[in-house]
Amino acid sequence: MGPVKIAFMAGLAITLAALVPVLSEAPPRVIEGNAAAAGAEVEIGVTARTDARVCQSGERLPRGATSIRPSLYALTGPPVEVRVDYRGRMVAFGEHGSGWTGTSVTLPIGEVTRTLSPVTVCFTATQPSEPMLVIGIPTAARVAAYRNPGRPYEGQIKIAYVGAGQVSWLTSALSVARRMGLGRAWSGSWIAVLVGVLMLAALGLVARLIASELDA
Amino acid sequence: LIHGVPRVAVVCALIAVLNAVCWSLITPPFQVPDEPAHFAYVKQLAETGSPPHITSEYTSPEEIATIDVLRFYKIRQRPQVHSIASASAERMFERQLKEIPRSHGSLAAGVATSQPPLYYALEIVPYDLAGNVLDRLQLMRLLSAAMAALTAIFVFLFLREALPAEPWTWTVGALSIALVPLLGFMSGAVNPDTLLFGVSAATFYVLARAFRRGLNTGAAAAIGGVAAIGLLTKLNYLGFLPGIFFAVVALALREPRASRRARGARVALAIGLALSPAVAYVIRGLVTGLPLGVASAALGSFHGPLGSELDYIWQLYLPRLPGTSSYFPGLFTQRMWFERYVGLYGWLDTQFPNWVYNLALIPTAAIALLAGRALFEGRAALRRRAVEIAVYAVMAIGLLFLIGTASYQTFPLHDAEFIQSRYLLPLVPLLGAVLVLGARGAGRRWGPVAGTLIVVAFLAHDIFSQLLVVGRYYG
Repeated sequence: MGPVKIAFMAGLAITLAALVPVLSEAPPRVIEGNAAAAGAEVEIGVTARTDARVCQSGERLPRGATSIRPSLYALTGPPVEVRVDYRGRMVAFGEHGSGWTGTSVTLPIGEVTRTLSPVTVCFTATQPSEPMLVIGIPTAARVAAYRNPGRPYEGQIKIAYVGAGQVSWLTSALSVARRMGLGRAWSGSWIAVLVGVLMLAALGLVARLIASELDA
Repeated sequence: LIHGVPRVAVVCALIAVLNAVCWSLITPPFQVPDEPAHFAYVKQLAETGSPPHITSEYTSPEEIATIDVLRFYKIRQRPQVHSIASASAERMFERQLKEIPRSHGSLAAGVATSQPPLYYALEIVPYDLAGNVLDRLQLMRLLSAAMAALTAIFVFLFLREALPAEPWTWTVGALSIALVPLLGFMSGAVNPDTLLFGVSAATFYVLARAFRRGLNTGAAAAIGGVAAIGLLTKLNYLGFLPGIFFAVVALALREPRASRRARGARVALAIGLALSPAVAYVIRGLVTGLPLGVASAALGSFHGPLGSELDYIWQLYLPRLPGTSSYFPGLFTQRMWFERYVGLYGWLDTQFPNWVYNLALIPTAAIALLAGRALFEGRAALRRRAVEIAVYAVMAIGLLFLIGTASYQTFPLHDAEFIQSRYLLPLVPLLGAVLVLGARGAGRRWGPVAGTLIVVAFLAHDIFSQLLVVGRYYG
């Protein structure tokens, strides 16, 4: 076997080996949402460019949470920090870099070992940047999220507490394949099989080309 | 234009199509940027024979109802929300789908409204073959996927013309490009970008060929013809025009045996052909008052001082110059371009964990170092081909400038709306050239091994990207 074939086989082996931990991993799941999580979402405010802070008091930080996901919208999201305070003491901290897009950003905080309540959760954009829309449910000012004490938004921000999942990708492969066939033009699990067959065909063609053109 | 396409190029094209078809099946309907708008354009063109003229995102009632049934707005930009997940939800989805009344045309097509009609006209064929929105969308996606073949073939041919020394390296370049996940993702969707990538690759090919073989009448017609197709495909192609005109003039000046008149005629042929659709389109835009999309931004609708705009565009791609104020505090724009090439799918809502982007820096740096070595070793040839290289640079700068002006239009509401690496994919032949140089940079003995590893890295990147999207929507 020539060096090209060895390189190809080694590359494929490394790819397959990398697939094992990925597929054995359980995708994270929402273990608890705050009171705003169940309501219909609306925009309850916009952060300022220079003082982008959203705090929510009266939260419950559940045991097992590994990250916190506030509902904030940005197209080019700024770097965000989260700080959780319990009885005036910081009990969790996390951060996320810039450039995120969408209606939420997931901030890893390290695993929470016991449930704490009530806590105050504060999200801060650490660099003045694109304003973020704050998404939640309208509430009275006394329970609403706030920039600083006395400067409330128009409601409670939606926050999800995310923890480690229990079912690995490998275990749920069949249900994932089934879902791939739902909500589209042509229904059926065969969609997932077809994708697999097409990618295997592509892999076969790649192997043939490498053997014929690079291993000459 | 593509005389004597080698079998290897055809196989690369087939791989690109297979990859794009997979992406078209993996990505849920309309979960690709602007796909609803592009679908609406085709609907209007197919059912009324005229293009849309309202830029609103409220397209046809039929399409909006379908999108609602799909829970499009609940899923878009909410990576924690998955696609339809149960058989009962599917039954309800199918029942609701059947109840959606047909509507005729779509006067509004959102951001697609300002685009030229060529891609949409081609998509009428699959549109007419099916009955409901979802069937039509899937067939249209398959036509888009077929267009990925053009990109792979023309990248191969470009590499053959531009870097002829080591034929085996063309396979490395074209094969890797065929497996670029972002190319597969976009080619598996209804979006004129997919045709634009192919036409852009064809542009690089005809220019490289002309630089190698001279600007005869056929080459001038090919350059002009391809440019005309590009302008009929998507307005972003305008960014290439300065480079193409520069190339045509430079090529004409390098023809010592042709008379001055013959050279002038070839330049006129190329430029006249290239501009013919653009002139008609601009006149139509001026007469009807329709916006010219990204072109409007480039044609002078500045909303700030020119110096500020140029500074903004500079910082969109490059580190801030000393003495200038930052337009992107807290954002590392160069890194964002890279990360969004490595992995950003769906409606810009599907990303890898952060460590993947850090890991991706290692093979990227290795390829860059090897390519740098090959360039250093071939520096004498580089000097001889300085004009040709300058042409490619002007084309790239033109495209970057166009994207930058469009992004500046949305600033400061959004810092950098247009940092989407798909906009750079018309430059994918240059990525192919870097990969070829990377393989060559490993030397004669280890070059094929390095080339193999490059291809496998692209294949692995593609597989993991597909799994990422599968997990995001169906997990």
